[in-house]
Order: sequence, then C-alpha cells, then structure tokens
Amino acid sequence: MPGDAQFAAQAAAASGLALRTVKRASDAVKIVAVEEGCVLLVDASTQAHYMEFERAVQETLGLFSSRLSANHIHYLSSGDIYEVPYLIQSPLFGNYIHRNFELDPNVGTYFGRILGATLEDRAFGCERMVKPGTKVQTIQLRMALQKQEAVEAVRNYLVALKFQSRMATVIANAVDEILMNAIFDAPVDSMGKHLYESTSRATNFALEGPRAVDLHVAFDGEYVALTAVDLFGSLDKNKLLTAISKIYTEQEYRVRSSVAGAGIGLASVFHSGGSFFFASESGVRTEVTVFFKRCDSYREFKSQFRFLSTQFYF
Amino acid sequence: MVNIIKEQKGNSITVRMVGSVEESVEFEQLIGPVTGELVVNCKEIPRINSVGVKGWIKYFQVLQQKGVKLKFVECSTAIVEQINLISNFVCGGTVESIYVPFSCMGCKGEFIGLFKTDDLRKLKFQVPELKCSKCGGKAVFDDIPEEYFGFLER
Repeated sequence: MPGDAQFAAQAAAASGLALRTVKRASDAVKIVAVEEGCVLLVDASTQAHYMEFERAVQETLGLFSSRLSANHIHYLSSGDIYEVPYLIQSPLFGNYIHRNFELDPNVGTYFGRILGATLEDRAFGCERMVKPGTKVQTIQLRMALQKQEAVEAVRNYLVALKFQSRMATVIANAVDEILMNAIFDAPVDSMGKHLYESTSRATNFALEGPRAVDLHVAFDGEYVALTAVDLFGSLDKNKLLTAISKIYTEQEYRVRSSVAGAGIGLASVFHSGGSFFFASESGVRTEVTVFFKRCDSYREFKSQFRFLSTQFYF
Repeated sequence: MVNIIKEQKGNSITVRMVGSVEESVEFEQLIGPVTGELVVNCKEIPRINSVGVKGWIKYFQVLQQKGVKLKFVECSTAIVEQINLISNFVCGGTVESIYVPFSCMGCKGEFIGLFKTDDLRKLKFQVPELKCSKCGGKAVFDDIPEEYFGFLER
C-alpha cells in the first residue's frame, strides 16, 4: 500500500533492524523459520490478506511455535480497530498499526522507537519510546483518590506545554482511565480473582506495597507518553482487546451493575486519537502507556497516526 | 466533582451541571426527584470519564422509563463526543443545542460557538467561519465534521 515502504524503512532504521520486503506471506514466514530476532510488518488490509499470513504460519511453523511470538507481529491496516475483528480475535495478534501516514511523513521514525522497545527482553519503561534524552517525571499515587489530583496535574502540565485546552482535557481523561484500571482492575489475589471488581470507583484506600501505582509522564517536544504502572501483571489480553475494539455508535451501551467499571474507557481513548502500548509480565508488572502527538489543530489531533501494541510475557 | 444549579418552572426543571462528571457524582442525590420535563444544561461539563458515562446513562435511563421528557442544551464538546460515541447516551432525550469548536487560523486560539441543532441540520453541517475574539482573524471549525455532527444524522 502507498506509504508502507517508507514507513517500514523509517521504522527499521530507527529500531536498528535490517529491512527485507517480500510479497508473499509464506516467504516472510520462511525467513522467520531460520533467522533469529525477526519482527514482521504484515499487510492485513483485508481478512484475505490476514488469512494468507495465518495459513503460512500454520503450514511452516504452527500457530503456537516458539519461533514466532505475537509480540513481534505488527499488522498494518487501513481499517479502524473495530473493523478488523479477524485481527483482534487472532491467536497471532500482537500489534495493530492504523495506516495513516499522510499527516506526518516521519511517523515511521517515531514508531521505530516503539518497535525498538519491543525487541528488548521486557518492554518496560516509556523512556525508550520517546526521543533520547527526554526527561521522565514520576507521580507516585499512595491513595486511590489521589487519581483526580494526578489527572488535573497532567492537564495543567499539558496546557503549560501549549497543548490546546481541549487536547489537554482528552489526554487527562486518558490518564484517568489508565490510572483507574491500574488502581481498581489490576489488583488480584493469589488465585487471580479481581479484588475490586465490584468496588465503587469512588472508594478511597491506600496504594501501598504491591498495590502501589505510579504514573510516568514524558514529553519529547512532539509526543507525550503517559504510563500507568501496577505490580500485579494481571492484564487479560482477550478482555483487553474485546473492550478496546468495541463501539457503541450503533448498538446500545448496557449498564452492568455487577461490576463497578464501565468497560468503555480505553476504547474512547483510542477513538480520540491516542495510541496504546501494553506491556505485562504475568504476576509481576503491567505498564500501560498512552501516546498523543501535540498538534496545531484538534482535527489533526483526532486524525493522528495510531497504533495498539501488546507485549505479554509469561 | 459536579455542582448543580437547579431551577423549577411549573412542571419543568432545569439543571445546570458545573464540573467534571466522574465516579464521585451521584445524580440522584444532586438532582433529586423529577417528573414532567428535565432540561440539562451541559455547558460547564469540561470532562466526563467512563464511570461518569456509566452513572449518567444509568440515571437518565431510569428517568426515561418513568416518562420524564429529557432535553439537553448547550452541550460542551466533551458531552458531544460522548453523544457521538454512545448511541443511547441521551437516553431518548433530545439535543437542543451544542457548542461547536473553532480554531483561529491566525493566533491559533481556540474557542467555541453555540449552535442550535436544528440550525446545524439546515446548514448541512457547513459551519460558517467566525471572527476570532482575540485577534480578529478567521476562525474555522476544528474537528472532523462527519464525526462531530454524526449524531445529527442518526
């Protein structure tokens, strides 16, 4: 597709990878079968494209081969996330890139930093996903209700950085959602049962020891990255992808009283222009980073290049 | 945290919500019992989070089921975004007027203009350019028309 080659070349250069382009999915999978450290950028414009890739993996390696981690597969699609259920439901889903390169000709370089992070043993820490030398600030939350103060602090910081007020509000809302998830959805007991599933989100309690939640904020002059960190590592990939790809523009949103959360926060953040990077090591740690570009207009802000990356470690 | 300013005229109650709608907002306690008509002024709601959306729909759905006539006026950009994202956000009510975002081509300043939804339909969503209140420059609609006005075509 137009723009793919330039995007891939920039991303490869920024992540220190050598780029090889093949036309057939089976040729790419054959390379993965014999070479170490491969990352795949797959054209998944249609379900047929995706199925060709899945068949090639099935026939050459097997869907659950240790030669190919879903963490290292990046699907390029022109369709929005809710238009590609075949990717979201795939056992080979790792990363989704919404093909929207027009507004920023150097977006591949930006994504290359994200790609570089996925090559590490563990993709934790937002400092490697922003321009080198960017200062990362940390807010430590010690009580659940400190969330609102953190949200307001981020909003004020962004306004001071000359983000439009409306953009700052949208980003603050994103911080609200990722912190709420880290505080209330992440905590599980030793059996994996969610501790605060039905607890009102207005409840205050101490965030101490394993319940500690941090927020990292980094602005590199172009992109702002905001990371919520929890120490449970309980993120469920299927639930996450289902929630983030669900839209209620046609169907009605039904209020579920059995759970206190709403289940619509991440989808609305993604819809408003944010990109997501989820890194979770089972039982150890989850980091959810949301990225936004500072744009001259809100129209551009909402149309910005977006991706959804998931990195799971077991 | 939301404060409510309430005014009753006959069988109609107008409430003006001021503040961000999030998990601490208890609509039932803030607004109290309603019969007849409820006009909700959303001008001063700068932000609403997902739990706020859930509480909002839960509350207004109950009023809808009780036969209360719901009208939403002066909807802020944050509320318009939710109206567009969630098909049942206004719970059978009508959206009378919304704030439309503008950006100045000169000084890059942002501001909002109030439009009646009926007028927007007549304009076929071609919002006129405005004059920037700060520098006098040309200010244009600053969002994606088919997304921002999408709810008007439902």
